[in-house]
Amino acid sequence: MTCGKAASAPFLSAYPKAIAACALTTALAMPLRHYLDLANIVMLFLLVTFLTALKLGRGPAVVSAVLGVALFDYIFVPPHLAFIPTDAQYVVMLVVMLAVALVTGQLTAGAREQAELACRREEQTRRLYQLARDLAGVLSRWDMQRALDDYLRHSGYRAMLYLLDAGGETTTPAAEPHLAEYIDATMRRGEPIEGEAAAPALFIPLKTPARISGVMVVTASGPATPPPMQERELFQVVASLAAITVERLHAADEVQASRDQVASERLRASILSALSHDLRTPLTALVGMTDSLALSDARPAVGPSPEALAAIRDQARSIGHMVTNLLDMARFYAGNVSLRKEWQLFDDVIGASLRQLHAAHPGHPVRTRLAPDLPLVEFDAVLMERVLGNLLENAVKYAPTESAIEVEAWLDGSHACLAVSDRGPGFPPLQIEQMFGLFERGNPESPRPGVGLGLAICRAIVEAHGGDIRAKNRAEGGARVTIRLPLGSPPAFEEEME
Amino acid sequence: MSVEINVLVVEDEPHIRRVLHSVLTTEGYRVYEAETGARGLIEASTRKPDLLIVDLGLPDMDGIEVVRSVRHWSEVPILILSARTEETEKIVALDEGADDYLTKPFGVGELLARVRALVRRRVRGGDGTPVVAFGDVQVDLVLRAVTRNGQPVHLTNLEYRLLAVLVAHLGKVMTHQHLMREVWGPGQAENSHYLRIYVSRLRQKLEPNPTEPEHLITESGVGYRFVA
Repeated sequence: MTCGKAASAPFLSAYPKAIAACALTTALAMPLRHYLDLANIVMLFLLVTFLTALKLGRGPAVVSAVLGVALFDYIFVPPHLAFIPTDAQYVVMLVVMLAVALVTGQLTAGAREQAELACRREEQTRRLYQLARDLAGVLSRWDMQRALDDYLRHSGYRAMLYLLDAGGETTTPAAEPHLAEYIDATMRRGEPIEGEAAAPALFIPLKTPARISGVMVVTASGPATPPPMQERELFQVVASLAAITVERLHAADEVQASRDQVASERLRASILSALSHDLRTPLTALVGMTDSLALSDARPAVGPSPEALAAIRDQARSIGHMVTNLLDMARFYAGNVSLRKEWQLFDDVIGASLRQLHAAHPGHPVRTRLAPDLPLVEFDAVLMERVLGNLLENAVKYAPTESAIEVEAWLDGSHACLAVSDRGPGFPPLQIEQMFGLFERGNPESPRPGVGLGLAICRAIVEAHGGDIRAKNRAEGGARVTIRLPLGSPPAFEEEME
Repeated sequence: MSVEINVLVVEDEPHIRRVLHSVLTTEGYRVYEAETGARGLIEASTRKPDLLIVDLGLPDMDGIEVVRSVRHWSEVPILILSARTEETEKIVALDEGADDYLTKPFGVGELLARVRALVRRRVRGGDGTPVVAFGDVQVDLVLRAVTRNGQPVHLTNLEYRLLAVLVAHLGKVMTHQHLMREVWGPGQAENSHYLRIYVSRLRQKLEPNPTEPEHLITESGVGYRFVA
């Protein structure tokens, strides 16, 4: 039995065919009735009923059975050309014949329907498989819609995809506002909805475990009727294939986006590093040249005075400082600073920063007060030295020369704290919070150098460590900046055995 | 200076080369120059310099490569010049055997101090006296005894070993990794917090002002250096 042909036979032409088959059998059997036993003619009629059931279905088989029995009775069973048999045993024969014909017909037709159903299923599966294969290859939402259109071409249905865009809104065409309401409802409920008279369609959410990525709207392309319920299951399968495809496209987009981001970050990093090299090289040369002129005994008698040389050198140094700050800030804003966090003690970073301070400003008094037994804290030593260095540099810039800068470290609950205080004029009271913004300075026209990047960098670094930084003015005069870093759980430390 | 001391500068920037040349010549060193790593390696093998100054960012090869190649056949002191963005390269170069580093832009005073320290170590050689003195502390490397103001100072085994390693490499920047390996043995890179704690304890016992150390110096993010 082949698939499809029988199933598509027009419903009405089956009955005339069944009747014709019975008539033909009668005509063929007529000349043979003298040679054949009645029982064998019965077999011929049963065969016709069986074939009718097989080829034409349940209804025609019933017609064939009843008509066959009638014709047999009327023409072959004596008395001929009369319905009432003369002998009672013919009645038994006719009844059995009718029963066998009906049962055979029903069974055969049932088997045929099963086979047809299996055929249809197979065809459906084949086409779904084809759809899945097409969808697996699509590269855009447009291609996806086209694959769906191909799939539904001869089915009498249309399926439109309404997908969430990046902003989380469904892209509903303006021309179909009557669908919007149902689409939104479907998105909210996450279950298929059948539209009513205004929108005769089936709304199926495109659902993956992660999210609902859109809605598939199925409409009949002919008269405006929603798709019958028995097709609903099929469309749900189609919708889940579409949902997987949307997820795949989405993931591919994300991979591409993150690849782009990595590429642009790498570019930024290399630009910054080239910039850093290009800016530092002339500064290094400048500092070196003024230094060597100042040190050299062979300095021409008519040349810049030692004071002028020292001034050039100091200016070059402070440009160097600014360049460092600017580049660091650029790195932080570009987002490509990776912390090299290690468990360590504040002593190290305080000692190193103070050493730098004394090298640049010899003789400025500093008082340190470190709480005993400070625990290990996890931070990036180089960056934290920049923080402390900037704070100390600020303190030196604003504090009177003979007044001591104070550096303190202590434990406060779950935080390790570090503070730098000075006896300078303090922060302008109304601007304390803004001090940490980019390019903020206490007094924009102040003659002291620095673009105000220092505190902004401090904040960026401290916050990258999960800590916070605060500024305030001391009651007794001067500024005080406090850093707090979370303690976390330091690694184990075992005392050595002696 | 009775003996001529040769310094080889491997640096691609002509201006910086010129500064180094003029400063070092004024100080009485004889200066040779190379603008590429390859040229630098040739000069290093023919001139037999007493000190190498190597820029980390060379056009033809990494400064680290130069350090590594030179260390195959020579113990000559190497000072590297680095930009701030080259933190990790700096550590690798030190691990490969470079002795010290300077971050650009640097002052001539800093440069000369480093150069003098490295050259002094070179001239004096590795056979220093068994007793090293710094501040009010004396370390007798033979007797393994440490005294401060003449009073014996008790150091634990590991504290002494750490001090001995640092003292043996006077002036040289010792990376965390290197110190961990020398004192705690291999495979302890994860436990660098031990090193921090032991350095802190040594400072408490030996430094006049432990918060502003003068001898056990922190090189942030890199390691420690012992200065007499």
